Amino acid sequence: MKLSELKKGKKARITSINVKGSLKRRLMDMGVLPDEIVEVEKIAPLGDPIDIVVKGYHLSLRKSEAEQIEVEVLE
Amino acid sequence: MKEIKVAVAGNPNSGKSTLINAIAGTNLKVGNWPGVTVEKKTATLRIDGLTINLVDLPGTYSLSPYTQEEIIARDFLVKEKPDLIIDVVDSTNLERNLYLTIQLLELDIPVVIALNIYDEAKKKGYEIDIEKLEKLLGVKVIPTVATKKEGVKELIEVIKNFAQDRNFIIPKKLNYGDVENSINSVESVLRSQYPDLLDKYPSRWLTLKLLENDEIVLRETGIKADENFLKEAKTHFEKSHQEDMESVLADIRYGIAHGVTKDVLKEREGKKTDLTEKIDRVVLNRYIGIPIFLFSMWFLFKIAFDFSTPFSDWLDSVISGPLTKWTTVLLNAAKSPEWFVSLVTEGVIAGVGAVLVFIPVIAVMMFLITLLEGSGYMARVAFIMDRLMHSIGLHGKSFIPLLLGFGCNVPSIYATRVLETERDRKLTAMLVPLMSCGARLPVYAIFIGAFFAKNAPTVLWSLYVLGIFMAILLGLVLKKTLFKGFAPVFIMELPPYRVPLIRDLLIHTWQKLRHFVIKAGTYIFAVSVIMWFMLNTPYGVEKENSALGRVGKAISPVFEPLGFGTWEASSSLLAGLIAKEVVVSTMAQIYVTDNGQEGNSEEKEGTKDFLEDLKDIAISFFNAVVDAFQNLLAGFGIKSLQVEEDEEMTPLKSKLQEIFTPLNAYAFLAFVLLYWPCVVVGISMKQEFGSWKIYGQAILIHSVMAWLVAFLIYQGGKILGF
Repeated sequence: MKLSELKKGKKARITSINVKGSLKRRLMDMGVLPDEIVEVEKIAPLGDPIDIVVKGYHLSLRKSEAEQIEVEVLE
Repeated sequence: MKEIKVAVAGNPNSGKSTLINAIAGTNLKVGNWPGVTVEKKTATLRIDGLTINLVDLPGTYSLSPYTQEEIIARDFLVKEKPDLIIDVVDSTNLERNLYLTIQLLELDIPVVIALNIYDEAKKKGYEIDIEKLEKLLGVKVIPTVATKKEGVKELIEVIKNFAQDRNFIIPKKLNYGDVENSINSVESVLRSQYPDLLDKYPSRWLTLKLLENDEIVLRETGIKADENFLKEAKTHFEKSHQEDMESVLADIRYGIAHGVTKDVLKEREGKKTDLTEKIDRVVLNRYIGIPIFLFSMWFLFKIAFDFSTPFSDWLDSVISGPLTKWTTVLLNAAKSPEWFVSLVTEGVIAGVGAVLVFIPVIAVMMFLITLLEGSGYMARVAFIMDRLMHSIGLHGKSFIPLLLGFGCNVPSIYATRVLETERDRKLTAMLVPLMSCGARLPVYAIFIGAFFAKNAPTVLWSLYVLGIFMAILLGLVLKKTLFKGFAPVFIMELPPYRVPLIRDLLIHTWQKLRHFVIKAGTYIFAVSVIMWFMLNTPYGVEKENSALGRVGKAISPVFEPLGFGTWEASSSLLAGLIAKEVVVSTMAQIYVTDNGQEGNSEEKEGTKDFLEDLKDIAISFFNAVVDAFQNLLAGFGIKSLQVEEDEEMTPLKSKLQEIFTPLNAYAFLAFVLLYWPCVVVGISMKQEFGSWKIYGQAILIHSVMAWLVAFLIYQGGKILGF
């Protein structure tokens, strides 16, 4: 499933990042890497962007970017 | 005498600027990196015969070739070759911060880690094994608490020891696992075939960048990405990992950061209740988040303008009152010719005044912006507003400069610096002048008073909405034209809330202010004097025959289709290029030729002696302080945005009623709202962006837009029978 579809409060493992070039590098630099565990913390009051916790800190990104990140939900 | 060059690197929000302020204090110099709007701080310290040249690099998460900040930081490290790097690391977020440290070590420059925010980490129950960290990475580690200046002395001690003995810190070559083979093979090719490149670049760094397909390095070295020796080293690898080399290396670096963190960090029971979490649960709440946000923005605006306006007014009254009066007295006593008195009082002193009245508002606004940034709330503003701002091609953070633009566009241009990319900064700056600032109010006031007294609030409101509407339209157009081709991303850390140091806020505000007075002040001053010459050459002629009147007459046909093609209107619009409120005062000078009024006020004041005037200045300053605080407490209205009736303007008002109709009066107001951003805005754009280009574009775009809108209003209104 896509990171953008992940429900609030659920944890998931990143399986792949389907972007190229600078956007991918930027995501990876910020710690969004395959096998990393992420959790959706909050959604902005207007529905976009979202706030995820990765590597113990808060990162916000737009849904359009989150759509490019595949995750699998951890039970 | 010994000299040592030290670069300071670190993640954003790691407390880097606070640490720099703590180390350098008043020695700090602030400027820009050449050609860009990224701040550069430098300081020269002299301690025990050692000269330390400190350079603060932009805060970055990485040294990729993508963001402007990253390119600046690595260019400096590679080309200026500092002797030592101080890497400021946020102890509460070790792993992500070490990711940058690992990239710094690739440069083969000795590194000292300032393990900052150490107190908070301890509170959280984190225990960091410093000796182990030093050994694993081949660095020196000093725990610091920059806000309390803890660890600063030890840091300087390390620099001193290193200057004595360069072997004091030897950077370690970290093991990149199975990529090492590829690194070795590329490095040996470089050694045999490109020896001059290895004189310029650190060899391991160059090798890694070539493997990563780093566009900038490939271009600079002239090596092609598909050169055989690179291709071989990469393909074999990319096949087995099924990832491009860039991702593989990012993975390896984070792997090391993760491993080191696991080795040195022990988490004990500590205060786990996170204040940031608690605040965010309220501030970013789905239902009350937006009301809280609107309230804080209203309050921000109120402080920025209602608090600063009384001080601006006070400065204005001192300059136009006693200062002008006593200068006139002195010059007359020295038997100066009349034109010279006029030049000094109406040109020079008015010019100084034009600079000074900006000081309170810029000071207050810079203080507030720094507070928003330093506290962490700015990131939340961006988080909340991004949805709306993004739809017109902007970043969530653009909201703040645009909002503040309703008070004054000048500090808004400076405030665009909160944005992360040059593109966002420039695009926002292009839209800021469409936010109807306080200086346009006197123009609205007089025309609304003369023509729309019955519907005053609606007409006023319609002008603000027109400005916002045009901003949205222009944003959409620019996104697709001038600013096409950039993909604005929004990948932003939401940092923990922290209480910024008053010392840091004041230092930053002071630096900005000094910059404004010195750099912008000279230009504004010059423009005021030029304007005096425009109005007064040849000296003593009717306004119609002055240089300004002649130019006004020459361009007046342009305004014919808009309904106000007279030399008076166009001359006033020309004069309004200095600041839009000047439109009104010029109109008063041109239309109402009765000079008796001025003489009267002079007589009234003329009876006071010098000491009485000084007393008045002191009393009115005290009143300004009282007013400023009263404004803050005085209910919901924004006082500096209220239209005040000015009785002195009654003659002008009745004159205007003779010349204008409601229709062309409204077209005129729309034109004043939208046309040519004032010179002071232009000067601040030049200062921020380093060239006049943005202002030139803004002049062209806004003037054409103003003409079209006024044309549509006037001609459309005529057809509709107004």
